[in-house]
Amino acid sequence: MSNEHEHNESATAPTAATAATTVDLGTPQFLGEVEQAFVEKWHENATGCFSSGHKFCREVCPVTQVTRNENHTPTAFHANVIAMEKGHLTVEDVADDYVHCTQCGGCEVRCPNTLMVGDFYRARTETVKVVRAMRAMLVDKGLDREGWKVWNRLTNELKNEPVLGVEGDSPNAQAQVRDWAEGLDIPIGGDTIMFVDCEAAYYRTSVPRATAQILQAAGYEFGLMNEQWCCGGPAGEMGYVEQSMAFARHNVDDWRKSGVKRIIAIEPHDYVHFTEDYPAYFGEEFDFEVVQIIDLVAELIRDGRLKLTEPIDRVVTYHDPCRLNKRKGIHEAPREILRSIPGLTFKDVDRVTQWSYCSGGGGGLPIEKPEITAEISRRRLEKASELEVDTLVSACVWSERPLTAAGDEAGIEVKDIIELVAESAGIEIGGRTRA
Amino acid sequence: MSGEYRFGRWVPAEQVPPEAERVTDQVIQRFEHVFEVDPDLMGRHFNQQKMATWDTKRIVAARWDHLDAVHAEFADEVILAGEGPDPGPTTSQEHE
Repeated sequence: MSNEHEHNESATAPTAATAATTVDLGTPQFLGEVEQAFVEKWHENATGCFSSGHKFCREVCPVTQVTRNENHTPTAFHANVIAMEKGHLTVEDVADDYVHCTQCGGCEVRCPNTLMVGDFYRARTETVKVVRAMRAMLVDKGLDREGWKVWNRLTNELKNEPVLGVEGDSPNAQAQVRDWAEGLDIPIGGDTIMFVDCEAAYYRTSVPRATAQILQAAGYEFGLMNEQWCCGGPAGEMGYVEQSMAFARHNVDDWRKSGVKRIIAIEPHDYVHFTEDYPAYFGEEFDFEVVQIIDLVAELIRDGRLKLTEPIDRVVTYHDPCRLNKRKGIHEAPREILRSIPGLTFKDVDRVTQWSYCSGGGGGLPIEKPEITAEISRRRLEKASELEVDTLVSACVWSERPLTAAGDEAGIEVKDIIELVAESAGIEIGGRTRA
Repeated sequence: MSGEYRFGRWVPAEQVPPEAERVTDQVIQRFEHVFEVDPDLMGRHFNQQKMATWDTKRIVAARWDHLDAVHAEFADEVILAGEGPDPGPTTSQEHE
């Protein structure tokens, strides 16, 4: 690799302006230090994909299904690394391509290099990490997208994501971070705390309210953080790694100060960040147990600590949130919960079929490409319509905003699974399901 | 097919894979029925990656679920291999 570039040092590298419109495959280009480190780090993963070329990832990719653009396929994200390594592409050439990803992980789990032999070789396809690394490089080089730049600047100022809008003075700051809990009498700190992510804390406040009241009804003790900032996950997904780490540092210090031992993640993205990013940031220092709320609620119902007595007269299907199903293998507990709700007619679609489903709500896609997110959600509701259901149930608050918008058009209501559990437990939830 | 592993509960101490047991000259085993190429044989062309327990379990569970889905979609009948040792190919004499 390095020899190749030494040979190519005399080649004239095009400017960003010319490279953005024309890719000159005939003139290999010299890589800068940052790009060199990037291609060296991801060489093996990219080669594993490029040399196999099965492309099973294409049709599970929710973005590719919509755009049908080969540049937006997971395969392309790896092939670009090879092309950069060979001096045929620059970061500028492909910067916008890497925006086209929800980081759902469908491509990774469907890739035979993961699915069939990932455990045998102890090496799997890591497309999400490649996308994140590329986005981090875009930030380093000042090539980050305008929408993400604004979003993360505001997040840094507010300490929470600007989920109520990036313009004007939305009530979306630290002063309002616990407003959702009004009247619920939840203590601060303790062994176990419930982490309420930004979308739930400010936008769909019915979800944290339902969650808190379910736990209270089951006699499960928990508290809230002293000073809860954004988990930092979205910043990491969009390439703002330093900001992500700073937010993570704050939250870990806050937990430590309160003597916290266990974190309840009520939202799938947070569960991914706490169990993948935080351990990567802090190593063995990160010694907290992390519990995903769906797992916990299924246990409370199973053990008889939470009684579901009120019939719910709905015909529902379940949307497997990507970060639960594809990224984390959590698909049995939500089905167990739905089957325990009296009165509910549940029309299931298996988890493998749903590897190709998504809401389009993750990875910063709705900020930069809202039209693609909307189309992904429209198609998801179309699938639900074929089952003749009146309700689509999700377990991810970030998915529920675009799905709800699509559901309005399709005549199907979108509910969070915890909202249904609370209703069946006879709880008056309060809060709101949309801004 | 996820078995008893709780994917929704992340305990730090459980994430370090257990010590490997040797199965053959080329294969080791860290989890029951999960075979792994001897790490000493990796690295020349492709390195092993850092992989926490949950991720290995996730991949194995996904594979079984995928195979079940494929069988349900395409197979008239699913024939399971025996649990005993592979008898190898039959000889021409056995055919006679």
